Amino acid sequence: MKKPIILLLAAVVILPMVVRPAIATEIWIFAIFGLGLNLLLGYTGLLSFGQSTFFGSAAYVAGWLLKQYGINAFLALGIGVGVGAASAALVGYLCVQRSGLYFIMLTFALNQLFYFIAYQWTSVTGGEDGMPGVPRPVLAGIDFTNPLVYYTLVSALFLASLWIMKRIVESPLGRILQAIRENPVRAEAVGYDVPRFKLLAFVIGGAFSGLAGVLYAMLFGIVPLEAIGFVFSGNVLFATLIGGSGSLYGPVIGSFVFIWLSESVSTLWARWPLLLGVAFVIVVLFLRGGVVEAWSRIGAKFGSWQSSKPKN
Amino acid sequence: MAILETQELTKAFGALTAVNGVSLSVEAGTLHSIIGPNGAGKTTLFNLLTGTFPPSSGRILLDGRDITGTPASRVAHLGLARSYQRTSVFPAFSLLDNVWVAAFATGLSWSGLAWRKTERYAEVTARARQALADVGLAGKADAPAREISHGEQRQLELAIALAAAPRVLLLDEPAAGLSPEETRNMVALVRSLKGRYTIVLIEHKMDIIMSVSDRISVMHFGSLIAQGTPAEIQKNPEVRRAYLGGVAA
Repeated sequence: MKKPIILLLAAVVILPMVVRPAIATEIWIFAIFGLGLNLLLGYTGLLSFGQSTFFGSAAYVAGWLLKQYGINAFLALGIGVGVGAASAALVGYLCVQRSGLYFIMLTFALNQLFYFIAYQWTSVTGGEDGMPGVPRPVLAGIDFTNPLVYYTLVSALFLASLWIMKRIVESPLGRILQAIRENPVRAEAVGYDVPRFKLLAFVIGGAFSGLAGVLYAMLFGIVPLEAIGFVFSGNVLFATLIGGSGSLYGPVIGSFVFIWLSESVSTLWARWPLLLGVAFVIVVLFLRGGVVEAWSRIGAKFGSWQSSKPKN
Repeated sequence: MAILETQELTKAFGALTAVNGVSLSVEAGTLHSIIGPNGAGKTTLFNLLTGTFPPSSGRILLDGRDITGTPASRVAHLGLARSYQRTSVFPAFSLLDNVWVAAFATGLSWSGLAWRKTERYAEVTARARQALADVGLAGKADAPAREISHGEQRQLELAIALAAAPRVLLLDEPAAGLSPEETRNMVALVRSLKGRYTIVLIEHKMDIIMSVSDRISVMHFGSLIAQGTPAEIQKNPEVRRAYLGGVAA
């Protein structure tokens, strides 16, 4: 029961020693992003192809305030959460009216809408060049420009996010969302306003995405245009599916695999997304539960092998 | 007095009038059956009563209060719960979680909705377990719904409706697809619920209908063609023609 937590804490401590702190930081940021998506994808059964809308919007707004007005870092994070939630409320309100393919296309289309606003509004966003100069403010004497200090902040926020998400999915809300995934008609009939619950899942997921967006902007000191682009939406989706959308920890593992692959293999081989594609195909065809399922299958094999041993 | 009433309820899908001017009155505490050939509009009537879609015209009254047009998710909170002809459960959930979700929906309070752990809602869990026990599935509470037999799924279907603690229970062919033995169990189950709930029952199997019903309404091509006690219905020549088969008349 407590094993995943211990493993995670160990990973948080060891990771910056194994990879560059910036990559380690990015892994946890992406994990927060994935947690938000997975509430929609894994728990509510909604495939959102527009999560970067919330990620990017929060990054731009909070990044701009940090840059122009030098606001407090925690205020910026709070604003990011708020912007993520608010943009998700707007997008979600329009999307939950539809289901299936129409729903997916709406999330995608609205993502594109936000993308082109960012693309055109060059005076604020810098358009294609991105919005550079996002600072990592000094707070209460703590200098977040030190990569390890910033890593500590991000990993603490990640653990907090994970804990909050754990509480949400183990609450009645988590069960209701899963009931909607399993059978929306019956969920409605037993007394749940399904579109409203879907919207709630959107808003919560958006808040997580927003937090990740601001952390991302502060990590690299820039909000690149890609942060609000559909490739980014696809990346978090891939990462979550590869990790396993069926469990709380799936997106965390997926983020680790995805970022680590993209940072390490991409320097060796420019066509690395090919590997990602292969991994994705394998997951979709043989391993719907992603890495998490693979792990538990190996565990079960090993367990049965062990338990059968004494009999011989 | 009538707990559930419809007045000239009509639903048209394009040129097809599935339910046509149905005025029905269900007395509190009784078991009221609705029978009729396939396509007579029985399930559509249920869909109207539970707000799956709004009627084209007419009114629905619950306890004398007009609930016409109330959306499905609100209807459950008014004390109207239904089961489905085609099993409609939450397949990946355990049986207990299936009924738990329904019990929580109509629970006293939703406080702690996104934060409190589900196991801390003792009152909801108790009601969920009671609903499982009522249909005889208490021993399988932890089994996943997708792994139980068809007969057990039909029982679960009923338990989900019961878990909402309804005042009126709408049962759409609870014995659909059951073996003779399972059917007998289901009849015994429905009989045991009689008196505790006001029940509106759609059923095809005449032996069930005649043995458990207090009143029967007969639908044919969307309209009510007869109402009465089982004995009256059996004698009614129009019913025999429409439903029991012309040869018997």
